[in-house]
Amino acid sequence: MKEFLLDAPLTRDFFTYLGYFGQVEALPNVGDGFYKFEKQEWFMIKGFLGDTTIEVRFRKEVMDFTTDFLYFLLASYREGTMDLSVLKQRERSVGERVRKHLHGV
Amino acid sequence: MGKHSIFHSYGYDHQRTRTMNPPTRMIYMNNAATSWPKPPVVLDAVRQSLSLPVFGSGRTTGSQGDDYVTMARDVLSRFLHAGPPEHVIFTQNATDSLNLLIQGFLSEREGDCHVLTTALDHNSVLRPLHEYERQHRIRLTVLPFREGMVNPDTVEAAIQPATRLMVMTHGSNVLGSVQNIRRIGTILHDHGIYLIVDGAQTAGHIPLDLETLPVDAYVFTGHKALFGIPGTGGFYLRNPASVTPVRFGGTGTDSFSLFQPTGMPERFEAGTHNYPGLAALAAGVRYIQTVGIDTIAARAKHQTAFLIHELQQESNIFLSHDHPDLPIITFNIRGIGNDDVGFILARAYGITARTGLHCAPLVHREIDGGSGSVRLSLSWFTTDEEVAYTASAVREIAKNADSSVRPS
Repeated sequence: MKEFLLDAPLTRDFFTYLGYFGQVEALPNVGDGFYKFEKQEWFMIKGFLGDTTIEVRFRKEVMDFTTDFLYFLLASYREGTMDLSVLKQRERSVGERVRKHLHGV
Repeated sequence: MGKHSIFHSYGYDHQRTRTMNPPTRMIYMNNAATSWPKPPVVLDAVRQSLSLPVFGSGRTTGSQGDDYVTMARDVLSRFLHAGPPEHVIFTQNATDSLNLLIQGFLSEREGDCHVLTTALDHNSVLRPLHEYERQHRIRLTVLPFREGMVNPDTVEAAIQPATRLMVMTHGSNVLGSVQNIRRIGTILHDHGIYLIVDGAQTAGHIPLDLETLPVDAYVFTGHKALFGIPGTGGFYLRNPASVTPVRFGGTGTDSFSLFQPTGMPERFEAGTHNYPGLAALAAGVRYIQTVGIDTIAARAKHQTAFLIHELQQESNIFLSHDHPDLPIITFNIRGIGNDDVGFILARAYGITARTGLHCAPLVHREIDGGSGSVRLSLSWFTTDEEVAYTASAVREIAKNADSSVRPS
């Protein structure tokens, strides 16, 4: 588990953006809004709207591959350079490595 | 009513919890893992123990300072009613004790050896026994439980001609249920079977009289309800000859001999002791004696009952056991994972709990299919206000648990 300190408070838009890459669930009435993003076999992100920290739990076996992708996701959102086609291409590339490492295919 | 028994006057309303300012200090509800805070006298004892070179007979020419090892042994022996003091052995923790006892008991027993344990037990018991089973050194039977309890009749029914040993928990670290070791021990002894009891969760929470309990070895840890610090634990051993030592080394005594001394406690203790830890453990036990273990148990019972009553008000909170004997409350909330509940409690309410399997996988296989649960565990230092706030927080989460949405 790692905790990331963000430049700006978490927003609903951030998790909507993450939703392109995995599953987002929310309990909007818990605290200031509890959000959870899960990308199966990669990592899980948890946080509260308005908070500047997120907790990330990586799948340990493939953490070397997926950490970079997480940084890329965060940086793209922060800089507003969210070219989904580029992000998706990178996701596919990392996904192949993850599958091969975990399942051998 | 005393100051620790007036819950309703605090005016905690579960509808208001989120808008209230959480207490300024962390609310710590993970005492079954490691107790916190420690009594000030424990912190003082650690500081004091390190203020002079350590003193131990045979290990220094110095005469300054206290003999913390002997002091702790005497204090523990009296507290547990486990005489003589030399039969109290110090180790690193309960897991260390269990490994020494199980391995030592089995080491000189050859041939078919059947061992009993329970599904309530912690991995500190289950893993050593399963490893020995995998090595074909024992045959193992894991006994079931019902409503938190292992039925003594089930124990008796499981006994075979080759049954030599039973290792079992005294108090479940998940369900908070205290087992009837008096009845179980009597049954086992009637069949000549050795009983090792894991008291990691009971020592310091309930009165114990090991002289009258039919147990052959009783394991304790220092850093939970005894208010010591991590790195201390031990066991009481009724008959030292019943267990073969499996750890050897310097004792500061009989040093010309190249073999481990046979006397107690040197038979089982080798190497330099954890002097600060044992000073802390002695101080922690003395603190309990000053307060009174009956007083501690009474408050824990009251607070636990209140917390359970509060959680039962929400239909989507499922308690794993609704009448624990120890201040351990385990639950799940429908519609939200136990890990998420723990995260929310910590981040939104400042409440430290524990989630997951609690190192007791067989309990969870039975009560929640192995998905785990949220555990709240109290100590003497848990205030009524903290209990009320925690109850309100959990209820508030439960009220909103079914509102899960997937943002588009």
